[in-house]
Amino acid sequence: MTNLTSQTLEFEDHSEALEYYFEQGWTDGLPIVVPTAKKVSEFLEHSSLQASEIIGVEPVKGRVLTAEKTAINAVMAGCKPQYFPVVVAAISAITESQYNLHGISVSTYGAATLTVVGGPIVKELELNSGIGVFGPGNRANSTIGRAIRLVISNVSGAVPGELDKGTLSHGGKYSWCIAEDSEINTWNSLGIDRGIKPHGNSVTVFAAGAPIQTNNHSGNNPENILSSIADTMLHAGPNQAEIIITLCPEHVGHISDHGWSKQQVREFLHSHAHRTSTEWAEAGFIPSFTGNTNERISVTQNPNSITILTAGGAAGGFSAVIPLWGAGLQSKSTTKPF
Amino acid sequence: MSKLEVLNPVQEPLPENGFLARRPESLDGKIVGLLSNGKPNSDNLLTLVFDVIKDVAPDMQAFSIDKGNASRPCPENILNKIKSKCEVVITASGD
Repeated sequence: MTNLTSQTLEFEDHSEALEYYFEQGWTDGLPIVVPTAKKVSEFLEHSSLQASEIIGVEPVKGRVLTAEKTAINAVMAGCKPQYFPVVVAAISAITESQYNLHGISVSTYGAATLTVVGGPIVKELELNSGIGVFGPGNRANSTIGRAIRLVISNVSGAVPGELDKGTLSHGGKYSWCIAEDSEINTWNSLGIDRGIKPHGNSVTVFAAGAPIQTNNHSGNNPENILSSIADTMLHAGPNQAEIIITLCPEHVGHISDHGWSKQQVREFLHSHAHRTSTEWAEAGFIPSFTGNTNERISVTQNPNSITILTAGGAAGGFSAVIPLWGAGLQSKSTTKPF
Repeated sequence: MSKLEVLNPVQEPLPENGFLARRPESLDGKIVGLLSNGKPNSDNLLTLVFDVIKDVAPDMQAFSIDKGNASRPCPENILNKIKSKCEVVITASGD
């Protein structure tokens, strides 16, 4: 058994332990798997990690995120040991300085960490990129996302209602881990776009607001489909440094059948999602704006501010716009190979 | 029957090495740093606080500065600027 140093707690039975974890605020409000030393050691051994190994540091609150604490929370979330490398990679990504973990997890914005997994591990772990990709039903998606959330709360210290002051927050804060659909993807995957070698595993983390769906079942060409997505993008406000567009297979099919590249999609959306400065000001954005009132200001800073994901069930014309915390400027999405 | 043994999932913060700064006996004649975090109205809140304190220390002066990013620690160069000019600092958030 690995050298574990966490405090050991003794209980008469499983039910008493569970109640204690609820009372301490150590769960997300749902029951957990109790983290015994045996189970935690299995996770560490599977990933050949020492208990004391540091996965990351959250500097603002002075929290050190060790492999041991990460494994305890992954057990609690219901992960299998095989999922642990994904959790570790994600924790390593969220503790990069550019992700600004403290800011994103305590802010009134209520951002959740969206983790996107790519590479051969998607098939190995049977991660879902298809039907109901943002919803429940798949153990790997649900428990990996939940483990990341429990680490943010228990190890990094962003406890809802205490340091986490999210005004509304959203369901993604329970758990939000998806795979990108490499089968339908006629374009490069997110991982390849971000410099991951073909057939390499990667995670990308985003500090994300709730997804806003675009419903378009009548458009069958890129212009029709992307115009409705451009309308949906307006809610985010101007000058976004990064925004996610999740395209469903039906929409990807129509767009790629017309020979459009990812870059063409980005350029179309950048040039069609805009308002005049007066319209932005009337909608409550740019409150101190005093310049040319007819100037058209795009939602995005430039076409490359748009990150495209492909995911979702084969049937249905539903894509989604996902805004990022701080307009994608104060927290940068972060990709890690593993 | 043996007891069920489980592990504590919480990581406590690193022990604090810091300590509270010495408080001046009077603010009269002192330069007070007003460090706003860049949130809307944080500067107005600090000005209001300054005006209230000025009633009891009329010779006090203000040095206002904005740390520029509400969600990140104050940059070193701004801290150094405050350190070189001020004897007291008040900081605030406004939401």
